[in-house]
Amino acid sequence: MPFKHLKKAFQLTAVASLVSLLAACSGGTSGGPAAAQADAAANSGSGSSVSPEGRVVLDYWTWWGSETRRPIIEKLVDDFNKSQDKIFVKHSYYPYSDIFTKELAAVSAGNPPDIMMNDINTVQQRASKNQAMNLSKYVERDKVQDRFFPELWNTVLYNGEPYALPFNTDTRMMFYNKDDFKEAGLDPDKFPDTWDELEQAAQKLDKKHGNTYTRIGYSPQFNSDWNLLQLNFDGGRNFFDESGKPVVNAPAKAEALQYILDNAKRLGQKNIDAFKADFGSQQANPFLSGRVSIWTDVTNFYTQIRDYGDGINFGVAPLPETKEGAGHWSVGGGFVIEIPYGAKHPDEAWEFLKYMTDVEAQTYWAEKNFDNVANKEASNSSELMSNPVYKASVENLAHTKLTPNPLNAPDYMNLINPQRDAIMLGQTSIQDGLNKAQADVEKLVSGK
Amino acid sequence: MAHPQHAAARRGRSLASREALQGFVFVSPWILGFLLFTAGPMLFSLYASFTNYDITSQMAWIGFKNYDTMLNHDPLFWKSLRNTLYFVVISVPLQTAAGLLLAMILNRRMPGIRLFRTVFYLPSVLSGVGVYVLWMMLLSPSAGLVNLTLSWLGIDGPAWLTDPAWTKNAIILMKLWGSGSMMLLYLASLQGVPSKLYEAAELDGAGRLRKFWHVTLPMITPVIFFEIVTGFIGGFQIFQEGYVMSYGNDPGAPMNSLLFYNLHMFLKAFKVFDMGYAMAMAWFLFLIVLLLTLINLTLSRFWVHYEGGEQ
Amino acid sequence: MNMATFSKREYAREREQERKIALMKASPAKPLRRKLSTLLLFVLMTLVGLLMLVPLWWMISTSLKSMQEIMSYPPTIVPEQVHWDNYIHAWQKGHFGRYALNTLLLAGIGVFSHVLSNTFVAYGFAKIRFKGKKLLFSIMLGTMMIPSFVTLIPQYILFSKLHWINTYLPLTVPGFFGSAFQIFLVRQFFMTIPNELIEAGKVDGANHFRIWWQLMLPLSLPVIATIAIMTFQGAWNDFTGPLIYINSESLFNLQIGLQAFKSTETTQWHYLMAGSVIVLLPVVLLFFLFQKYFIEGMNISSATKG
Repeated sequence: MPFKHLKKAFQLTAVASLVSLLAACSGGTSGGPAAAQADAAANSGSGSSVSPEGRVVLDYWTWWGSETRRPIIEKLVDDFNKSQDKIFVKHSYYPYSDIFTKELAAVSAGNPPDIMMNDINTVQQRASKNQAMNLSKYVERDKVQDRFFPELWNTVLYNGEPYALPFNTDTRMMFYNKDDFKEAGLDPDKFPDTWDELEQAAQKLDKKHGNTYTRIGYSPQFNSDWNLLQLNFDGGRNFFDESGKPVVNAPAKAEALQYILDNAKRLGQKNIDAFKADFGSQQANPFLSGRVSIWTDVTNFYTQIRDYGDGINFGVAPLPETKEGAGHWSVGGGFVIEIPYGAKHPDEAWEFLKYMTDVEAQTYWAEKNFDNVANKEASNSSELMSNPVYKASVENLAHTKLTPNPLNAPDYMNLINPQRDAIMLGQTSIQDGLNKAQADVEKLVSGK
Repeated sequence: MAHPQHAAARRGRSLASREALQGFVFVSPWILGFLLFTAGPMLFSLYASFTNYDITSQMAWIGFKNYDTMLNHDPLFWKSLRNTLYFVVISVPLQTAAGLLLAMILNRRMPGIRLFRTVFYLPSVLSGVGVYVLWMMLLSPSAGLVNLTLSWLGIDGPAWLTDPAWTKNAIILMKLWGSGSMMLLYLASLQGVPSKLYEAAELDGAGRLRKFWHVTLPMITPVIFFEIVTGFIGGFQIFQEGYVMSYGNDPGAPMNSLLFYNLHMFLKAFKVFDMGYAMAMAWFLFLIVLLLTLINLTLSRFWVHYEGGEQ
Repeated sequence: MNMATFSKREYAREREQERKIALMKASPAKPLRRKLSTLLLFVLMTLVGLLMLVPLWWMISTSLKSMQEIMSYPPTIVPEQVHWDNYIHAWQKGHFGRYALNTLLLAGIGVFSHVLSNTFVAYGFAKIRFKGKKLLFSIMLGTMMIPSFVTLIPQYILFSKLHWINTYLPLTVPGFFGSAFQIFLVRQFFMTIPNELIEAGKVDGANHFRIWWQLMLPLSLPVIATIAIMTFQGAWNDFTGPLIYINSESLFNLQIGLQAFKSTETTQWHYLMAGSVIVLLPVVLLFFLFQKYFIEGMNISSATKG
C-alpha cells in the first residue's frame, strides 16, 4: 500500500529534519568571538597555540585552500598571532574566482572581511568603485612603498594614492628541454635570442612519424598567445600608449600576429590544435612528457618540473626579442592584499598588511611556494637566488610588464579577442581585423 | 422571508467564497515567500536598471540610457542574444524529444532495467568543471572520442570547440547527453496513464504506434508542456558552458561564438561592475521569455490534455 | 473510516486491477517477436549506456592514479598502479566527515520542506477555483525568468539585514515557501488526476486540507519521488548558495570542500576525482533505490513480460 510508505517516509524525514534543525540552532549560528575561536581551532591543521580572547579578531579571506599552500599561509598567520597580543587574524578559505563574488556581496552589504587577497590588475577598478580602502595615511606614516618593485607599486595607485599592497607576482619565461636541443644539434646552453632564431631552432626540434608530429619544437600558441607576443614585439607596450590612447593596430602588433600565423602555417593549425586539445585538460603536460621542446610558463612551473618532470634536463631563458637590443619584454600578473571598503578594523588590519609584505613573511612565502614576491629584498635573498630558475625569474622581472585594466574600458579585451580569433581562423586579414578592433576599443574608451 | 431560490444562490456564493478562501490558504506559502524573499530583490533590480548602479559606489537615475546602450550601441548584446536564440531553438526541442524517447524505452520490463535507468540518469548528476574538461577532451578534433566514433561511420568530424560555426553545436551535443533529468519527469508521468485506456485502444485494434499517439502522448502532454516552458526559461539562462568551455579561456571565444546572453550579462555585472546595465539586460530577457511563455500558454489550450479537466 | 479515504482506496484498487488485467491479456501475444525486440533493445541500450559511462570511467580511473601518472602522456585508460589510498586521503584532507553531515542536513531539510510546501501550493493552483489564480500563477512563472545574478546582491543585502549570514537560514527557510519550478511541475501532475475524486471527497465532507493529505499525496508518489530526488540532488550539488552565505568553514558543504583540491597553480586531480566519486555515490545510490516508486503502477509495457 503506497500510502503507508508515504506516511513512514514523511515521519522519518520529519524527525530527521527536526533533529538537524535543533543541531543547527545549537551549533552557534552567527559569528562572534566564540564561534571564531571554535572555527580557528577546528580548521587550522597546524593547531594554533594562540587564543583570540580579548583581542580584536580580523577576518582574512584567501583562496589558498590546497594542502600545499594552506599550511604556508596559516603558518604566516599563526606567527603573526603569536608576535603580539592585541590582534587575532582568522584565516578563511573560499574557492578562487567565486571568492570575489562573495566579497563583492559582503562589501555591498557593509559587512566585508577585514583583509582580502585580490587580483593586482583590477586594484584601480576596485578603488574607483569604493570596494577597497584608501591606504595613503598608513603608507605615508610607515613609508612602506620602497619595499616593492616599482612596476607592482604603480598598479595599486589610483589618483596617485595606494589602495592595496602588492603581495606576489609572476613572470613568463621560456622553459626548454636541453636534451632535445643536443639531439637536434643545438647548443643546450644558449637559448635563441631573437624570434627568428627561435623559429629556426624550433624547426630542427620538430619530430614527425609519417604525417603526424610526435614532437613539436615550439608554437607561440602553446600556453601563450598573441596577447603576450604583441607586448614583446611592441617594446613592452600593451594595447594603450602613455596617454591612454588605444594602439591595437600598431605595426608591431600586426607583426606579432604574422609571426604566429607563419608558425601555424608551417606546422599546420590542425596539428597545433590537436596538441592543444590533448593537453587542454590541464592534466598531462606536453613539456613534461617530452612532446614539446620549448614551453612558455611562469616561474612557478618549476615546481611541476621538479615534482613530476622525471628528472628532465631543462633550461630557462627570457622571451626572445625582435632584434638585438629591442628587449626581452614579458608579461606578469600577481595578487595584492587589501582592506575592503567598510571593514571595521582598518588600523589592526594594516598591521597585518605590513607584516605580510615585510621581508620575513615574503621570504618564507617565496621559498615555500617558489613564487615571485613583491618585496624586493625578499626576492633577492641568497637562499632563493641559489636556485638558477628563481634567479632567472628575478632578472626577468626587470623587463616584465603588468597589464592593469584601464578604468574607462575594463573589458576592452572582449572587443580585441574576437578579432584575433577571426584573424587566426583566416576569416579576415590582419590589418582589417586589427583596424576593426582598434575602432571598437576607441568607441568603448570614448564612452559610446 | 427570503425566497428559497435566493437562499440557494447565497449558499452557492458563500460556498464559492469559502472555496476561494481555501484556495488562498493553499497558495499563501508561495505568496508569502514571494513577498518576503523574491519581490523585493526583483523590484530593486527593475529600479536599478534605470540607474548607473555599480553595486558599491553609485546609483543615480539615468532613465532609459542602459536600455538605449543595449539596443543601439552594444554589438555584443545582439551577438549574445543571437547565440542564445540559436542554442534555445535547437536544444530545447532536441532535449525534450531525447528525454521522452529515453523514458519510453526505459519504461518497460527488461533485464537490468534499474541499472539502465541509473546509467542514463547519471550524466545529469555529474556536475562541475570536471565534466566540462572531460567534454573538451572528448570533442578534440583529432583524438577525441566523438570524432573517432564519427570516423567509424565515415564522417569527417568538425573542429567542435575551435570552429566558431560548430561551438554551439558542441554545447548542444553535450546538453543532449545530460537529458536524463528530463527522462526522470517523463518516467514519473508515464506511471499516471491508466491502463484501461490502453485496453480500450487494444480492443479497437490499435497497434503500438497508434497507442502511443492516441493514448500515451495525450496523457503526458502536461509534462511535455512543463518541459517546454521550463526548457525555454532555463535555455535562455545558459551561461557556465560558454564561460568554461571557451577556447583559450577567453569567455565566449572563439569569435564570441559562445558569448551567451547571460555570460555577457555576468561579465558586465561582476567584471565591469556595470550592474545597472546587467539588470536592464535581465529585464529585457524577462520580456522575451515572458512573451514566449505567454505564447506557449495560449497554444497549450490546443494540445495539452488535462485528464482532471481544465480549471 | 470516512468516505474520502474509501474513494481514494477504491481508485487505487481499480488501477491495480487494470494493471493485472493488462498483464494477463498481453502476455501471450506474439511472444517471440516481442522477446527478440527486447533483446535488440537490450543490446542497443547496453552500447549507448557504455558510452554514457565514459565520463564516469574517466573519473574513477583518474581517482585511482598517482599524480605522476596523470601528468604523463599518452593518458592511461586503466591505472598502472591502483591507489586506493587516494580515497582515504581525499576523505580526510577534504574534511568530508563534517561536510557530509552538513550537506546531509541541508539536503534533508530541503527534501522535507520542498515536498511539503510544493505539493501544498500546487494543490491550490491545480484543484481549487478562486479569483486571481491565473495572475498569481503567471507571476510565479515570471519569477523563474529573472537570472539569479541580478537578484544575488539585493538578496544578500536582505539576508544580511536579517542577520542570517553565516547560518543555514538563507539556504533552508525559502524552501518552506515553495519553489516556482517544482510547484509548476507538481501542478501539472495534479491536473491529470480526475476531479471526480475531489468532488467525491467533498461530498463525504472532507475539506481540501484532508483531500490534499489523504488523497492527492498518496496518488502522487511518482512526482513526490521526482521532486524529492531533484531537491536532494540540488542541495547535494549546491555550491553557490553555501559559498555566498556561509563564512565559517565548519559549516561548509561537500561541494565547497571539493574545491580545495583545485588551486590556481596545480590541481590535485587524483584527490579531486576521488572526492567527486565519493560525493557522486549517494545520489546515484538514492536514485537506484528510489526507482521503485517509478516502477510501481508501471503499466505501459508490462505487456512484454519477462
